[in-house]
Amino acid sequence: MSLAKIETYVAGRSPLHSWTPRLKLVSLGLLMFAFAAIRQLPLVLPMLGVTASIYALSRLPLSFLLQRLRYPGLFILMVVLVLPLTSGDTVLWQWGPVALRQEGLMSMSLVVSRFVCILTLGFVLLGTTPFVTLLRSLRSLGLPTLLADMTLLTYRYLFETADMLSTMQRSMRLRGFGHTRRRWFSLHKKDLQRLVGLMGTLLIRSYERAERIYTAMRLRGYGRLKQPPAQPKADAGSLLLTAIVIAIAIAFFTTELLT
Amino acid sequence: MHIPDGIVPAQVCAAGYGLTGLLTWYSLRQINKQGDPSANVPKAALLTAAFFVASSIYIPIPPSSVHLLLNGLLGVVLGYFAFPAILIGLFFQALIVGHGGLTTLGVNAAMMGLPALLAYRIFRLRRLLNSKSTEPFIIGLFAFLGGALGLAIAALIFTAVVIATVPAEFNAQAEQAAIATLTISHIPLAILEGVFTAMLVLFLQRVRPELLEGNS
Repeated sequence: MSLAKIETYVAGRSPLHSWTPRLKLVSLGLLMFAFAAIRQLPLVLPMLGVTASIYALSRLPLSFLLQRLRYPGLFILMVVLVLPLTSGDTVLWQWGPVALRQEGLMSMSLVVSRFVCILTLGFVLLGTTPFVTLLRSLRSLGLPTLLADMTLLTYRYLFETADMLSTMQRSMRLRGFGHTRRRWFSLHKKDLQRLVGLMGTLLIRSYERAERIYTAMRLRGYGRLKQPPAQPKADAGSLLLTAIVIAIAIAFFTTELLT
Repeated sequence: MHIPDGIVPAQVCAAGYGLTGLLTWYSLRQINKQGDPSANVPKAALLTAAFFVASSIYIPIPPSSVHLLLNGLLGVVLGYFAFPAILIGLFFQALIVGHGGLTTLGVNAAMMGLPALLAYRIFRLRRLLNSKSTEPFIIGLFAFLGGALGLAIAALIFTAVVIATVPAEFNAQAEQAAIATLTISHIPLAILEGVFTAMLVLFLQRVRPELLEGNS
């Protein structure tokens, strides 16, 4: 999956799309942290409700979310599936040595719900904002220039570097790498040497390319022009949405702290 | 070894962001001391992209395969640029592959970035040996230590975070067994990471020594 695919729906016309990027970043970021702070089961339903409402408001198709949740979802399930079997004393169901425990089941529901909600908000943020706009908003919020430049350049060359590696790996396979039968649990020095060569060559090619890119960037004035990032002014709709989302985040924080 | 969203409490996420902020500030301060920092930005960015992509390379150990963390190697090759590189790499990993998360970006960056900076300092320690510091054996040895300790320290921090955030009602015996397994399984991985780092640094030293010059 690439960022380009995440940006398929950034040109939409929903309230989430027209939300001033800087305010959207701050508000959704705060809400993600409020969700991470939830430790009580009764708050799970409101959390799922708020997330579903925000997703519906973004008018992103459900397939966009389901596609992206699949892989990390499987990963988290592998991590937390052990909880209902090992955590807690109240046994709900038992079959031989395997016992399903209430406390573990509750912990698992909490972790999975938090995970799904935080991830959904992240995808809403990325699905409704172009990456470069997001980076510009981060710059205006104090992200150092060096980090912003590095992020942008990494993004620019990430997929080309991935293509380069894939071509190199294909040539390795065509020359027989990985076709020899090896004994189980044995590591061959020759395999390791070839992989070192592969990674080393990838680093050297990237390094050489960076030298050419830097020369081209200098010729175009890189490092001499200091321009503060221009930010669009916030409209009434954006301010209202920001106030609502921040109020919800504060409500979650206070309920969690007071009860 | 990525902590996903929703696993650790908000306080841990906030502390992670705090520590990452501090380490970023420290790294940028050191980078700015090295003359014109913008001259190294394209190099660091393209190497970040290369490391990000290279993290998908698996070492075949039948019937399975092992994937390397590369944080020690990042420290050895990129020096102080390693921390911003790891932060950016993890940011893209959370966005593109769904590994890690946005709320846990700070925790993950500190967990992998701090050992990377230590690996860089360890690799530089060989300069204390003066004339011997350019001998292949010494370069390989210090690169091995940087790579192996990079992974080992990251694994220790990961274990500490897991212990600190595991639910209170979790079975203590199962917890101890899981932690012991986690720790023991990382010993051969740390050795493999160290060997790979040493071999790669020696390869770079032979083929393109200027790639390591900035950090030697």
